[in-house]
Amino acid sequence: MNLERIKPHFPWMTLLALVCVVGAANPAFFDPLGLLSLVTDVVPLFIMALGMTFAIYIGGIDLSAQQVANMVTVVATVYLSQFGIGVAGICILAGFVFGAVSGYVTTRLYVPSFVSTLAMGFVALSAAKYLSGQRALSMDVTERNTSFGWMFDSTVGVPHQLAIAAALLAFAWFLQTRTSFGRALKAVGSGELAAVASGLNVDRVKILAFAISGAFAGIAGLLFSVKLSGGDANLANGFLLLAIVAVLVGGTPLTGGVGGVVNTAIGTLIVMVIRAAMVYLEISATQQQMVFGVVLIVAIALTIDRSKLSGVVK
Amino acid sequence: MYALNKVDKHFPGVHALKAVDFQVGRGEIVGLVGENGAGKSTLMKIIYGAYQPDSGSITIDDTTMRFQNPRQAMNHGIGMVFQEQSLITNLTVMENIFLGYEQQFVKFGIVDWRAMAKAARHQLAKVKLDVDPSAVTSQLSFAQRQLVELAKVLTLEERIDGDLVILLDEPTSVLAKEEVELLFRLVRDLAKRASFIFVSHRIDEVLELSDRIYVMKDGAVVDVVGSDAADVDDIQHKMVGREVDKEYYREQKQAPYATDKPLIRFDNVSMDKRYRDISFDLHRGEVLCLVGTEGSGREAILRTIYGLEAPTSGTVTIKGEQVTRFAAADGVARGVGYVPRERKVEGIVNGMNVYENMTLSQLKKYSDLGVLRVGDEKEMARDWVDRLAIKTPDIRKDCGGLSGGNQQKVVLAKWRSGGSDIILLDHPTRGLDIGAKEDVYEMVREMSGAGVGIVLVADTLEEAIGLSHTIIVIKDGEFQKRFDGTPGAKPSLYDLVHHMI
Repeated sequence: MNLERIKPHFPWMTLLALVCVVGAANPAFFDPLGLLSLVTDVVPLFIMALGMTFAIYIGGIDLSAQQVANMVTVVATVYLSQFGIGVAGICILAGFVFGAVSGYVTTRLYVPSFVSTLAMGFVALSAAKYLSGQRALSMDVTERNTSFGWMFDSTVGVPHQLAIAAALLAFAWFLQTRTSFGRALKAVGSGELAAVASGLNVDRVKILAFAISGAFAGIAGLLFSVKLSGGDANLANGFLLLAIVAVLVGGTPLTGGVGGVVNTAIGTLIVMVIRAAMVYLEISATQQQMVFGVVLIVAIALTIDRSKLSGVVK
Repeated sequence: MYALNKVDKHFPGVHALKAVDFQVGRGEIVGLVGENGAGKSTLMKIIYGAYQPDSGSITIDDTTMRFQNPRQAMNHGIGMVFQEQSLITNLTVMENIFLGYEQQFVKFGIVDWRAMAKAARHQLAKVKLDVDPSAVTSQLSFAQRQLVELAKVLTLEERIDGDLVILLDEPTSVLAKEEVELLFRLVRDLAKRASFIFVSHRIDEVLELSDRIYVMKDGAVVDVVGSDAADVDDIQHKMVGREVDKEYYREQKQAPYATDKPLIRFDNVSMDKRYRDISFDLHRGEVLCLVGTEGSGREAILRTIYGLEAPTSGTVTIKGEQVTRFAAADGVARGVGYVPRERKVEGIVNGMNVYENMTLSQLKKYSDLGVLRVGDEKEMARDWVDRLAIKTPDIRKDCGGLSGGNQQKVVLAKWRSGGSDIILLDHPTRGLDIGAKEDVYEMVREMSGAGVGIVLVADTLEEAIGLSHTIIVIKDGEFQKRFDGTPGAKPSLYDLVHHMI
């Protein structure tokens, strides 16, 4: 049995095993309507994790995702009446710009991404607080329904939110596997020095990866804000850890280069099942983060490619 | 006393050691020779504990040993003097000597520097080196540092019971002739205290110093000869498996190059601290070899041509156009291809397959509006796999799993398929076995015949002489001499070395 060979199959096997265990303990888990609402609930998290995948795939990380989403909830609420559905564009652009700045700081100023994105996260948080005046804002119900009400409808039983998630997954997958940008991402993640020596503009690839992560965080924030019909600087708190866990348990290691967006879809489902199990076991919300913290460490330890670490971990 | 019995070692795609038997007697100096890629360094790493053998055993006085790391090997008396110096240059000499073993000088949590200096002086006396133990290592010459390394290993004498085995990995490569003699006298003298394994590619030196010589080729020991019964030609023949002759470097295929319109013109180009006032022309079909010691500035010149590093003064002209912006992407666009020394790190992307590696430098050519045409990529890759006889089960195979020679072919295919007509080769045969080396030589000739200009930094001087039309010797970043390498009138090793050091 070759461990390296079965490693790529760990994520879906884990998912399958978890589903079986949870389903056996609580057969109600398989109720189609309940399952559907579980999956739908996890959509904003999934979108954030999808973006995060790009940052992690090149061997970086985006710690600003949650704060960017927070900021976007405020932006969406404040500007909804002025721009209507156009506020979506502003939200995505804001996320994109924040990510691009993180990427610029990382590549051109040589600040490691975990610091640059952490710092940009605080900038976003501060912007959210300033913009909201530190209050919880809410959207005008009519305006919300006119512009974004369609998101929460469903067609032949399929919630539109799920369709959005599927479309974004398809887009991200296309980007990753079918474009020269995706190929460059893989090269940067697997062997950055060889990518440089092949004449690729590695800095641009990295900046774009962080910008995409930011844009997806923006979309996640927008969706969340519309869902809760409001915005405040703490609305998306608790997302960051889960998004990182989703990417890593999906099988994209912190060292980058393998895994990808489909893995993240599986990883998000794993997170969802674990969360459902904890609810069933009546583990309180305060303790859930503890469990995910442990899951994160285990996932990192299992997936990380030690041959890429030069023996020095700081 | 010390023995390896039927030791085997595999790496992905390479059978690095094939049932190697190796013995060292007490007080013996054993030579180990072989070409690059013959398995010398793997064997050494097994001896000093950095690698563990896949099968076979290591015995000391008939007791089987298994070392998980170099420290365990050290605790059994096996020390290594590294070729690429392992001293930390901003520490003092004594700190380096006792690095990792400072505990013996610590009293109440404080290092007793005087005691350490005294002990260090004792070690330095063993190697007859008269330097201040509290001097910072960077102030020492290379030869002195080499002796400090030896002194560091000799601390084992006090630390452990039993015999010492000391590995010397190419200790003479940075030394001048008198320094080499000094080192040899010292080693002979020290043979009373320890056994030595002396690794070098300079066969005459190995003959001079060693009692017995192991000759390696393609991962196996092909012969063991007593130094009194051996001569240089004989050993060389065994190392290579045939005469190293003109055939080997394909000299008969060396055609004159076109002398009109140079591909590259360097006009008094300098780069801070790396090289100064370098001028040369590279023509179509020319193989130009930059010769010099490690750190003489050869690599920096290659990287400048490719666009990875910008010069500080002078003008670089490529195909008649002066280069104003130095970026690798621009280099690629000008038709420059770079085959880096670190094949596994910079050459191929480990984790990407054959066709993905081949198109990495030309993604624009294989995409429309950013969307890849994977079918075209595969077609091109299949074509080049055939043309260069790349041994891979499939173009979807991860390049990290190919053998070194085939990885190098993939790197070359990447540039050739993109139409590069200036190819920079940095140690293109490093770590390849002989068959693969010959393939590379064949490709060099074939490319040069097709009008490609090649700038080469060779793995050995023989290779530099054998392959090139023109040799430029560089020392400490400065131009020394230009040699013409027309077949039949090639410079000798001695001519080159004379200007290098």
